[in-house]
Amino acid sequence: MRRLFSQPLLLSVLILSLLIPALTGCGAAQREKEAAGLQDTAYTIADPTGDWGFPSPFTHYLRGPGYVRMSYIFDTLLWKDSQGYIPALAKSWEFLKDENAYLFKLQDRVTWHDGQPFTAKDVAFSFNYLREHNYEWINLDVVQRAEAADDQTVKLYLNRPYAPFLEYIAGTIPILPEHIWKDVGEPGQFVQKEALIGTGPFKLKDYSKEQGTYLYEANSQYYQGTPKTGQLKFVKVGSEMTAAALRQKQVNAAQVPPELAGELKKEGFLGLTGGHDYVAKLMFNHRKAPLDNVEFRRALACAIDRQALVTICQRGFGLEGSSGLVPPDSPWYNPAAAAVYPFAPDKTGELLAGLGYAKNGAYFEKDGKVLELELLISSAGSGPGSPSEREGEMIKNMLEDAGIKIDLRSLETKTLDNRVNEWKFDLALSGHGGMGADPEFLNKIIVGTGFNSARFDKNEELNSLLGQQMKEMDPDKRKELINRVQEVYAREMPCLPLYYPTWYYAADKTVPLYFTLQGIGNGIPQPYNKMAFL
Amino acid sequence: MQECVRAKNEPAPNKILKITAGLKKAAFLNYVVALFLILTINFLVPRLMPGDPLQAIYGSEALLVITPELQEELTHRFSLDRPLGEQYLSYLTSLCRGDLGHSYYYNTPVLKVISGFLPWTLLLAGLALLISTLLGFFLGVESGFRRGRTLDRVLLGGVMLFSGFPDFFMGIVLLLFFGVFLSLVPLSGALTPYAGHSGLLLVMDLLHHLALPLGALVLVRLTGTYLLTRNTMITTLGEAFILTARAKGCPERVIRYRHAGRNTLLPVVTAAGLQFAHLVTGTLFVEIVFSYPGLGSLLYKSLLTRDYPLMVGILLVITIVVLTINLLLDVFYSKLDPRVAKCT
Repeated sequence: MRRLFSQPLLLSVLILSLLIPALTGCGAAQREKEAAGLQDTAYTIADPTGDWGFPSPFTHYLRGPGYVRMSYIFDTLLWKDSQGYIPALAKSWEFLKDENAYLFKLQDRVTWHDGQPFTAKDVAFSFNYLREHNYEWINLDVVQRAEAADDQTVKLYLNRPYAPFLEYIAGTIPILPEHIWKDVGEPGQFVQKEALIGTGPFKLKDYSKEQGTYLYEANSQYYQGTPKTGQLKFVKVGSEMTAAALRQKQVNAAQVPPELAGELKKEGFLGLTGGHDYVAKLMFNHRKAPLDNVEFRRALACAIDRQALVTICQRGFGLEGSSGLVPPDSPWYNPAAAAVYPFAPDKTGELLAGLGYAKNGAYFEKDGKVLELELLISSAGSGPGSPSEREGEMIKNMLEDAGIKIDLRSLETKTLDNRVNEWKFDLALSGHGGMGADPEFLNKIIVGTGFNSARFDKNEELNSLLGQQMKEMDPDKRKELINRVQEVYAREMPCLPLYYPTWYYAADKTVPLYFTLQGIGNGIPQPYNKMAFL
Repeated sequence: MQECVRAKNEPAPNKILKITAGLKKAAFLNYVVALFLILTINFLVPRLMPGDPLQAIYGSEALLVITPELQEELTHRFSLDRPLGEQYLSYLTSLCRGDLGHSYYYNTPVLKVISGFLPWTLLLAGLALLISTLLGFFLGVESGFRRGRTLDRVLLGGVMLFSGFPDFFMGIVLLLFFGVFLSLVPLSGALTPYAGHSGLLLVMDLLHHLALPLGALVLVRLTGTYLLTRNTMITTLGEAFILTARAKGCPERVIRYRHAGRNTLLPVVTAAGLQFAHLVTGTLFVEIVFSYPGLGSLLYKSLLTRDYPLMVGILLVITIVVLTINLLLDVFYSKLDPRVAKCT
């Protein structure tokens, strides 16, 4: 002991000698380059979360990026690129209206990663297996049964006409190898090497939960051609560091903060602007007076300057909310339903006067009582662009300017969701993703039962239109129905869409990344479609 | 006469030993009581909340994801359908088996998830405690010995300045300067993924990634030790035994470390124990800044995904680690200062 402390200088030198080479020694960037020299075609994607679970259908975490990591290994019957559906395991498909079934002709000479041939039996098995084991990513109730007509043909019978079938089922359900999964009783616990045998363009070489990293290797036997990228890596990099990581060539692609997107594009990076998948909404408690009156909700809508929310709170990186709910860059957007409530505080006054309110001083009154509403806001936003205190303060100011007294209440996100769920609120600021997916989302967020939904079923026309659009198999007719849904929604205004934040990605130009039409699989708004790597 | 004195004093060492043993037991008992209190609060809080205890333990969001079979199994496992006493007993026995619950986000037992992340936090926090204490002690001794001179003033000013920063802020500053601006160190993680390193190269890679998070923690945390050492050093240097040592003609270096330094060390060790709890909290934030794969990152993720069992499990593990380190330091303290073992 004595010797130890009598030699502090020696000890410090020892510590410093350990730290200095660590600081100045062969840099990570340098080594990364060396590695790149050896693996010419490695492609690295940065992700701020890192770990999204073991990339097998039953074990990835139930969030979009988890599905994307699994999709590199497992193919679906059909897939999507930036324009729409493209063949995957099925080379062609056909809807048999009389039988309410889909007929899929499968690709020839497809093999599983372990060399076994892929057949129609695997497809039929997958659908039956996933349904039996309650596949949580997609509800398969609509599929009545799957039959292999011959080795190359599969027929899927539906319980009822289901418009999003190609999108949600044929284009999302991963096809599993029967010879492996037939003996697996508890798929949630199946994390052996065999659980990673698919037909996809990549094979998983390594996954680290702690480090949040994935390493894929190209499948040279892939039936749609060998991937140009020999190795694909996902690494964990904090969102603030992504731009520096791109510049230092430590990663090839990443989501970047909006402020840096323009700068990176000027420096020669590929700038990718995402579709508007997230919506920030002002929820109304339409089961309670005075918000149960549609005129009153309209009065509030006219008092809120949505463009100012985008310009000031989102610093211009977003789009103004459309009254019809669907974002302007969606193929289902109806411009006629968009600008029903332009910012007009005078109109608010007129509408409120029509409802018997009279202005006394700064605020409106009725029967001697000041018009006062409680606005719940989340103390911290739950993601990039989600509304928080800043947006809450601004909306409070706008409504108070229009003569409505607002009591602002900041709550933890979970508590806010609970209060909304139990209808214990007047107004609440909230938001969610999924706006870029198949228009089934309209049903989920208008009449659905979740706390993100307006849970508005008072309008028979709206209910009927939403019911019809789910059954309409003709895309043009369906578009017509969706247009009408938006018009009725704008008229009823069960909750007010405020803005859609814009998300930005940047990448070097080695792989032409793109955003998938209506998102990867069932609507994941990321530009890492596996087909971009072929 | 002498014999008489000896006879009177003879039983004394035995008595002291007994008392010491008793006190040691009492100190150990304190830790056990503290642990039990924490466990009990941990057990009671979710169960006293209104509504379904399973919902309080797991959160309503998790229950949407968990299958009814698993829900039933969990109710059974926590004995939630039994009286409170039986529940507590089953809670304690399952803890003894290492069962901290089931993480619904990872769909894995909590202990298994935590055990993957804990070593990284222990590496970071352990090294930070060691280096900040040693460096703070060394600088404090040198500074106290040269009180009022240039080195002392520079050190005091510099260290005080750093102590004003929160550790995560220091982390961000270091990361921006060394990582983004100079590109000297990696921007995130604990090792270069898939670089194929092994042996010495792997150790170097680990240290290279560790340098900044460790640097941030050490810079902020050494202040406490430094100031304490410096002040104690100044007081100790005024003691009579130092004068004696000087009069004996002991060299400066020996006086500085063997005489004054060793006496200064005692409060430093106590403070290090107390500081460890703060250090662990600081580590959690620093890990998030550097995307370092430790309990901090895991806790952050469990908060985002509202994985309650995982959150509770992490907090429990951290509590146990902090209690253990304090207990070890208590033992170490009595070894360092023989008076403690005899006189307390």
